Amino acid sequence: MIARPRWTVQLRAVVRKEVRQTVRDRRIMFMLIIAPLLQTVVFGFAVDFQFDHVPTLVVGHDASAQSRQHIRRLLADGTLRDAGHTTELSEVQHKLQTGDAAAALILPAGLARDLAAQRPAEVQVILDGGDPNRAVVVAGAASRYFGETAEAMVKARLAARGIAPPPLIRATPRIWFNPSLKTPPFMIPGVMTILLVITTTLVTAMGLSREREMGTLEQVLVTPIRPVLLLIGKMTPFLVIGCFDVLLVLTAGVWIFGVPLHGSLLLVATGTVLYVLSTLGIGLLISTVSRTQQQAFLAGFLFAMPAILLSGVMTPIRAMPLWLQVVTFFNPVRYYIEVLRAVLLKGAGLVDVWWRLLALLGFGLTLLTVASLRFSKRVA
Amino acid sequence: MSEPSIEAVHLSRRFGSFLAVDDVSFSVARGEIFGYLGANGAGKSTTIRMLCGLLAPTAGEARVAGFDVKTAPEAVKASIGYMSQKFSLYLDLPVCDNIDFFGGAYGLSGPDFAARADEVLRLCDLENEHDAITGSLPGGVRQRLALGCAILHRPAVLFLDEPTAGVDPVSRRLFWRFIRRLARDGTTIFVTTHYLDEAEYCGRIGLMVDGRLVALDTPSALKRRYVPGRVLSVHGRNLAPAAVSLRSRPGIITVEPFGAGLHLQVAAEDWNADSVAQALASAGAQAVEVESGEPTLEDVFLAVVARPREVHAP
Repeated sequence: MIARPRWTVQLRAVVRKEVRQTVRDRRIMFMLIIAPLLQTVVFGFAVDFQFDHVPTLVVGHDASAQSRQHIRRLLADGTLRDAGHTTELSEVQHKLQTGDAAAALILPAGLARDLAAQRPAEVQVILDGGDPNRAVVVAGAASRYFGETAEAMVKARLAARGIAPPPLIRATPRIWFNPSLKTPPFMIPGVMTILLVITTTLVTAMGLSREREMGTLEQVLVTPIRPVLLLIGKMTPFLVIGCFDVLLVLTAGVWIFGVPLHGSLLLVATGTVLYVLSTLGIGLLISTVSRTQQQAFLAGFLFAMPAILLSGVMTPIRAMPLWLQVVTFFNPVRYYIEVLRAVLLKGAGLVDVWWRLLALLGFGLTLLTVASLRFSKRVA
Repeated sequence: MSEPSIEAVHLSRRFGSFLAVDDVSFSVARGEIFGYLGANGAGKSTTIRMLCGLLAPTAGEARVAGFDVKTAPEAVKASIGYMSQKFSLYLDLPVCDNIDFFGGAYGLSGPDFAARADEVLRLCDLENEHDAITGSLPGGVRQRLALGCAILHRPAVLFLDEPTAGVDPVSRRLFWRFIRRLARDGTTIFVTTHYLDEAEYCGRIGLMVDGRLVALDTPSALKRRYVPGRVLSVHGRNLAPAAVSLRSRPGIITVEPFGAGLHLQVAAEDWNADSVAQALASAGAQAVEVESGEPTLEDVFLAVVARPREVHAP
C-alpha cells in the first residue's frame, strides 16, 4: 500500500515554486511592486476632481468701477482665473474653442447705471460644456457670488431706509470626513481597488494559462497533488502580495497625500482578503476558459474595465441608469470600494459594513468553487 | 506469481463521435519494458493518459500498480512516474528548484528527500547543472532532468511518452541504457516512441492502428509473424519503374521504397538475392545491388498498418 503524500508538504512545494517563479519574473515583479506605487503617485497627483483656477475670459462692456470690483471679487476666491479681457464676442468663441478659456463672463454695457436706476441687470456666463463637471463648478461659483451680491445690495438698500432686513434662510454647508474636499482621500481607495482587481486577476489568469501552455500543468496533474490543493497553493502568494500592495498604497496615500485613517486597519485587511478571494476566483475562472496566456490577458482586461467603471470608483453609482445600478450589485469591486471609503474616510465599523463583507465572502467562495469545479472537470 | 503491473481490460475512450481507443486489452509484468507503437493519432497518448489517471475511460477497466484508475486515481498517481515528450519542466527555474518542486509534489521532504535528490542528480548526471536555469539547458540535459523528476519517488511504473523526441543519438543511447537498468531493478516501463530502432529495446511491443491494438508480442515474434519470407534491400539506379514491373510477379510479397533504394519482402522458396537482381536489371534498373537483411520493426509496422486498409477497401 502506498502512503498518501502529506498535503502540507505538497502545498508548501507549490507555494514555494510559485514564489520562486514570481520573484524571478521581472515583469510580474514590476506589476506587483512598482506599478502600485506608480499608480498611487499618478492618480494622487493627476486625478483631481476639484476645479481651481478655471481660465475665464472677461468681456467687460461696462467700464464702471463697480463692474471692475465684481470681476476682482469673483476671481479672488480661486475657482476662476483671469484668462484675459476682451470686448469681442468672436474672441470668446475662439478662446473657448482652443481651450484657452473654459468660461466667459459678460458684463453688459450700463450694468452699474441700470442698477443705480433700479433696473434689473443681467450678467451672462458662457460655459464650455465639454467638461460637464467643470461647467457646473463655474456656474455654481458665479451664481453664488452674484446671489450674495444681490443679498448685500438688498440689505444696504433697506438699511438706507432705516428698515431692518428680513430674516433670511441660508444653507450652511459643513463638510464632514474630508473637509477641504481634497481628491486623494477619495481616489487612493480607488487606486487600491483598481490595482488589486488588475494584478491579482491577471496574474492568476495568466499564471495558470502559462502552465497549460508549457505543458507543466499536465506534468503536475500526474503527481498525486489534488487540483484544489494546486489552486490554493498557486493563489496563496498572490493573496499575500495583494495585501502587501494595499499596505503599500495606503502608506503612500497617508504619507504623501494625507489620506485619513479613521477606521480599523483590521477591518480594511479583512475586506481586502475577502475581496482578493473574488478577484483570484475570477482570474481562475478566466484561466479555465482560455487556452493561451494572451487570451487570458485579454479576458482579464475585458473583465476589469467594466468592473471598475461599474463599481463607483470613478463615478457615482447613483448617476447610472437604474438597470446598470442593478448590475453593480453583482460586482464585487463595488463592495470593496464602499468598505474602503467607509472605513478609511468615515471610520465606519463592522456594524456598518458587515453585509458588504458578507457579500464579498459570498462572491469569493462562489467564484472559487465554480472555478475549481470547472478546473477539475477540464482536467479529468 | 504477483499480479501484473499494468492491466488494461477492454479499455475504450470516446471523444464525441471519435473513438480514440477502441477496446484495448493487455497486461504488463513487473520489470517489463513495454513498447507502445503507432502513428500519430492512433491512440497511444490517450491510452497513457487513461493509465495515468489523467483521463477517465469511457468503458473498460485498467489497474496500474494494483490500483484501479477509475476508483483510485490518486493512489495510481502516487505509484507512477510520467515523462512526456515535452519534458514539461519549469524552464524559468533552476534544476534544483524543479527537483525540489516535483519531490514535494510527491510528498517527499526532509533529509530522506535531500539524499534521494542528490542520488537522482548523480544518476542522471546532473550534478554540474544543479543551479543552471532549466530553459538554458540543451534538450538532452532537459530530458535527463525530466526523467530525474519522474523517478524521485521511486515509482513502481514509469510511463514515457515519446521520451526521446528531439534528442541527439548519443543522449538517446544513454537514456535507454538508464531505462534498462531501471527495469532490471524492478521498475515497469511503458514507453511510446516514434523511433522503431528504439522499440527493439522493448521486451514486448503493442501496435496501435486507429485506436485498436492490432498486434502484441516480442519484437522477434512480430517479425516472424508479419514479415514472413526473405527481406532484401536493393540499391541501384532507375529502380522505381523496375519495381513496378516486379510487383506483379508471383512470390513477391511487398515492394516498399526505403531510403534511396527498395525494401523487398519475397517468398524464400521463389526468390533469392541473385534472381531479384536479375529481374530488376532486365526491367531496366542499373547498377543493382541486392543484400539480404534482417526484417526490422519498420517492416513489421508497414505490414501491420497496411493490413486494416486492405480489410476496409471496398
